[in-house]
Amino acid sequence: MSIKGKIRVLIAKPGLDGHDRGAKVIARALRDSGMEVIYTGLRQSPEDIVEAAIQEDVHFIGLSILSGAHTHIFPKVIELLKERDASDIQIVAGGIIPDDEIPKWNKMGIKAIFGPGSSTKDIVEYIKGSVN
Amino acid sequence: MNEKDIIKKLKNKDIRAVARLLTLIENEDKKAEKILKEIWKSTGDSYIIGVTGPPGAGKSTIVDLLSKIALKKGHKIGVLAVDPTSPFSGGAVLGDRLRMTSSQDTGIFIRSVASRGHLGGLAATTRYMINAIEMLGNDLTLVETVGAGQGDVEIVQIADTTLVVEVPGLGDEVQAQKAGILEIGDILVVNKGDRPGSDRLSRELQMMLSLGEEKEWMPPIVTTTATTGEGFEQLWEEIENHKKYLGNDKKNEMRLKRINYELQNQVSQKLFTDKMDQIGKSEIPNIAKDIMKRKIDPLSAVEKIIGNN
Repeated sequence: MSIKGKIRVLIAKPGLDGHDRGAKVIARALRDSGMEVIYTGLRQSPEDIVEAAIQEDVHFIGLSILSGAHTHIFPKVIELLKERDASDIQIVAGGIIPDDEIPKWNKMGIKAIFGPGSSTKDIVEYIKGSVN
Repeated sequence: MNEKDIIKKLKNKDIRAVARLLTLIENEDKKAEKILKEIWKSTGDSYIIGVTGPPGAGKSTIVDLLSKIALKKGHKIGVLAVDPTSPFSGGAVLGDRLRMTSSQDTGIFIRSVASRGHLGGLAATTRYMINAIEMLGNDLTLVETVGAGQGDVEIVQIADTTLVVEVPGLGDEVQAQKAGILEIGDILVVNKGDRPGSDRLSRELQMMLSLGEEKEWMPPIVTTTATTGEGFEQLWEEIENHKKYLGNDKKNEMRLKRINYELQNQVSQKLFTDKMDQIGKSEIPNIAKDIMKRKIDPLSAVEKIIGNN
């Protein structure tokens, strides 16, 4: 995707936990770095997320999960993107993801996972550096 | 996807192609121009409903509930929801989609749009974005403006039926007499009807309308409560009434007027950018220094710059 225009990122909070402070902090940080952030709110299903990402033509999907449901949601989102021929949309994740799982998710296509304590600056830089 | 791919896929109502075209239009990419020229004849078939009003009035929720009703009536729906771009960072948080949860999984196409510095309540490219969505074959397009101030009336240049959403508690009855946004409503919606003051607001709006001159179409005032869904069947009915009132003749007359206006704008915009390109980037800063030093006055400077090029 050419990025003559703005970087567009969908921030979604899949699963059932209601802790969206982190997602909101990220949304704000990305906004302040000049990106357009589509915030879809709580309790989104993988189907909702992928459909929204396609309609919004985003470069990135940011998934925030603290409940442990990522083991179900990550593979589903990756699979749905593939099904829709939209694997060019990249995924970043945040929340509570056990360290020893990270290599596995990296391999499956989630190139960056930002756990608690990550700096928003690093996230912004990562996204900017990965959009080509 | 290159232009040819996109054009081909648009003919099959492909969602990704429409989404990509919307991006190209937003970015004012040259490719978008080529594609729009190609598809122009297949666009223009959707009825356009505009929803405007102050921030937090409930516009997104209203769009959501209206889409639900329209869906039940068998319409195919596209939504453009505009939110403001930060004048400082150029970024934006687009949160309208958040309110449109019940619209998901229903085949409704929703696109969040940042205003990208354009004033008036919409983005500069909204008109063409509607055309792009029409490639999905929708017969209804809902356009939600940014949280509008009193002067953000551009939606009226785009929508066939404009809803102006008001809520109780924002001001006294003199607010209702002021020029601007209230004048553009084909239908006035008093949302948050369960809040104190909604009856009074409704009466004040009625009063404002009755003081004006008699018009062929007098905007109805509908009280809604988005949280319970109250009033929405009536709102939909009033939209249908307005659509019937317009019929094809009045609608087309209105659309022609707008195309005229739009064309004028676009020609002047094109002349402006062409001339500015000719003038280049260096001459203006140089002469600005002369103005600063009082060597030349700003009025003569303008004549000089235009005369030189």
